[in-house]
Amino acid sequence: MGRGAAAALPPWHALPDEVWEHAFSFLPTDSDRGAAAAACRSWLRAERRSRRRLAVANCYAASPQDAVDRFPSVRAVEVKGKPHFADFGLVPPGWGAAAAPWVAAAADGWPLLEEFSFKRMVVTDDCLEMIAASFRNFQVLRLVSCEGFSTAGLAAIAAGCRNLRELDLQENEIEDCSINWLSLFPESFTSLVTLNFSCLEGDVNIAVLERLVTRCRNLKTLKVNNSIPLDMLASLLRKAPQIVELGTGRFSADYHLNLFSKLEAAFAGCKSLRRLSGAWDAVPEYLPAFYCVCEGLTSLNLSYATVRGPELIKFISRCKNLQLLWVMDLIEDHGLAIVASSCNKLQELRVFPSSPYDAAEQVSLTERGLVDVSASCPMLESVLYFCRRMTNEALITIAKNRPNFTCFRLCIIEPHTPDYITHQPLDAGFSAIVESCKGLRRLSVSGLLTDRVFKSIGAHADRLEMLSIAFAGNSDLGLHYILSGCKSLKKLEIRDCPFGDKPLLANAAKLETMRSLWMSSCSLTLGACRQLARKMPRLSVEVMNDPRRACPLDSLTDESPVETLYVYRTIAGPRSDTPACVQIV
Amino acid sequence: MSESELAVIKPEALKTYIWLQCFDGSIQQVEEEVAMFCPMICREIVKNGTGSSKNHAIVLPERVNPASLSLILDYCRFHQVPGRSNKERKSFDEKFVRIDTEKLCKLASAALGLQLRPLVDLTCGALARIIGGKTPDEVRDIFHLPDDLTEEEKLEPLKNINDDPTIRLLNRLYAKKRKELQERQKLKDVQTQEEQKDERSLDELLCFINGDGDSRGGKAAKNKRKNKRRKDQAKNPAKANSEPVNKEGASCVVPHKADSGNISGLPCRRADLQGDIDPFDDAELDDGLDPAMREEIDREVADFAMKLNLVWPERMRLDHDQRMESHVGARW
Repeated sequence: MGRGAAAALPPWHALPDEVWEHAFSFLPTDSDRGAAAAACRSWLRAERRSRRRLAVANCYAASPQDAVDRFPSVRAVEVKGKPHFADFGLVPPGWGAAAAPWVAAAADGWPLLEEFSFKRMVVTDDCLEMIAASFRNFQVLRLVSCEGFSTAGLAAIAAGCRNLRELDLQENEIEDCSINWLSLFPESFTSLVTLNFSCLEGDVNIAVLERLVTRCRNLKTLKVNNSIPLDMLASLLRKAPQIVELGTGRFSADYHLNLFSKLEAAFAGCKSLRRLSGAWDAVPEYLPAFYCVCEGLTSLNLSYATVRGPELIKFISRCKNLQLLWVMDLIEDHGLAIVASSCNKLQELRVFPSSPYDAAEQVSLTERGLVDVSASCPMLESVLYFCRRMTNEALITIAKNRPNFTCFRLCIIEPHTPDYITHQPLDAGFSAIVESCKGLRRLSVSGLLTDRVFKSIGAHADRLEMLSIAFAGNSDLGLHYILSGCKSLKKLEIRDCPFGDKPLLANAAKLETMRSLWMSSCSLTLGACRQLARKMPRLSVEVMNDPRRACPLDSLTDESPVETLYVYRTIAGPRSDTPACVQIV
Repeated sequence: MSESELAVIKPEALKTYIWLQCFDGSIQQVEEEVAMFCPMICREIVKNGTGSSKNHAIVLPERVNPASLSLILDYCRFHQVPGRSNKERKSFDEKFVRIDTEKLCKLASAALGLQLRPLVDLTCGALARIIGGKTPDEVRDIFHLPDDLTEEEKLEPLKNINDDPTIRLLNRLYAKKRKELQERQKLKDVQTQEEQKDERSLDELLCFINGDGDSRGGKAAKNKRKNKRRKDQAKNPAKANSEPVNKEGASCVVPHKADSGNISGLPCRRADLQGDIDPFDDAELDDGLDPAMREEIDREVADFAMKLNLVWPERMRLDHDQRMESHVGARW
């Protein structure tokens, strides 16, 4: 064999798409993939075609068809709808965020789709039926903070999705149609790995549940709802000792030694249990049943558990390997102090208020608790903390202790609360946080704050992506500091602050670099919003006023105040599904 | 020959070799156990019986060039030895991919051609580490890629719906800024450093713009039931504070570096807000504001600038460049 005529070999960089597709599959973030796609034509082609997972952080930023056209091989898609403040009832009902267009486009363009995740969207029973009918290899359905569907939709999923692995329902509003949806999983169905129906209000057929759990030998996550009594839970655990994550439901019953032993024995069999949640109405006497799994627990979510006292603290302090802890403020400062010293591996702490509206019933949870945890837990990087008082000194100490915070959300319940010792605004404290925590990605501020704190945030919070502000600042300067600084800002949500039109207009260009801006109960006028919309065609400027107001927004003058402004960038143009109280200017 | 020499020769003679031919015609021979480590070669030997002699060498796919083949065989030679520890293997792998990018690309392609999965993963993983965290320009540089996307197509990646797509505006700004900077670099050395700073922040912006879809997992749903009104403690009405910003008069001392365009006594007046927003809009800048109102806004923005004293110099320069562009359509 002689040497053949050496064909002109392509330049070394013109490798087959396969090579790039494979290389891209190792890229850690989607922004890396995006940068690669912008390099040259062949990379664009390779990246687009090999994208398997897609996250759409704002369902109105692009149309479902855009997504399907651009990324034809997607297998898993996550779509988020309503803005975050919808959790606090600030988004009017019927605002939008329908999942239907996404399901329809996917059914058409992604027949091999395996995963759908929706967050804060309206998902109807029709959507669920369409999902069950359209994707022959559908495996994962995750619905977080959604509404619009009932147990009938769940029945369709159970009946239709032969290969379902995960059914994960978190914090949804599900209408109860008294349908025995669990029984619609065929007897031959054994592929379930995750079953979370903790937010379901109604009853489930316990016998059916038990059979399902028994035959799904790969079940790793089981989170039950209110309707499962304690002795049933023990039986379920015995059928599924391989469980890794458990949501216990109510976990409540009158104390009986028999039941206690049963529970204890059941937990003793769960050698793989790592994540525990629930215990909503837990009775302290039953907590010791958990003791044998404490050592292995990495995640403990007691955010709905109203149990308090020494039993609670003893239980938590036995969990030496805890990385995530969500509790109610019933743990109090002294409880947190003990947790701090026992659970040194803690990475994430959330403390929720047990009675946020009732100032009379005080629990002794103050800045002390957070200071202690920050001092003793070197890996702590994410905090959400509700309390009633704070000092600058405490915040400065916390900042010095934990420069590794990536998420710091402090919520002092009463607005405008100053440093309770010096009566000064908490500017110095929060400034210390942003100056010290160079990697901070998410921040919520509260308490009495002036524009000064925003100057610090704008100047120092280079990696900050999400900022939540309420009842803070004293002039337009505050907002201007934020919008003209904060290089990495993606989401800004503001309520009840004295910010007006000028900083908004002066920093309009900044808004195109962000995902969204929410401003409610500030000092905006309709004229400024109209102007913003005129100058920035690639932003969608939504103005929402009181739904009870009869006057259509069109007829209002430029001077009229705007109750809520929601601005987001989009390539899809103005949406057409707004209710009457929302106008796109 | 002495007995010992004979003994040395003998085992060599008994070793089986496999013959491999690259697309350019060159032929290599390699020990059988090394060659068999590669699934594709293994299949050829077993199924088709090729490779046992020079005349019946296994013809390798086009993308396997001799240099890459050599490297691949080194890889196989190391890993086919059963006794090695994981640590040893890992260490070898790490050193193995420390080669220049061009070689790495060719190696990855060759590994794919030979279906040697562990090496494919190793090389592609290494490529990903080079690509990750870089801007499109940087990547184009490193990999010598052609800049063959149109403006429109470059916008496409911004439809990286992960984070929401954006800005033709900033994209164009970036592209034009780049050209300018390249030109200016030749002319003015003094400003090089600051401008690089500028460029870098634009790079970051674009990188960020191009999407960052990793929605932070692990953040479980909000505790809605109990915390519905986390921030809704609206007992006190919002402080309706609309004090005007302190107007400190017309003279603003905003430092300018590239000041060639602004000769008027009030450089800040040129801080055309509307211009900032739409620098490439060649259409008339009709923003519906009368000049007096605009002047007021300009002055207030200048006041902000003084108080901030931060990013303004850079921003002004940027704005200045934009204004140079849009001078055609500028109102004043």
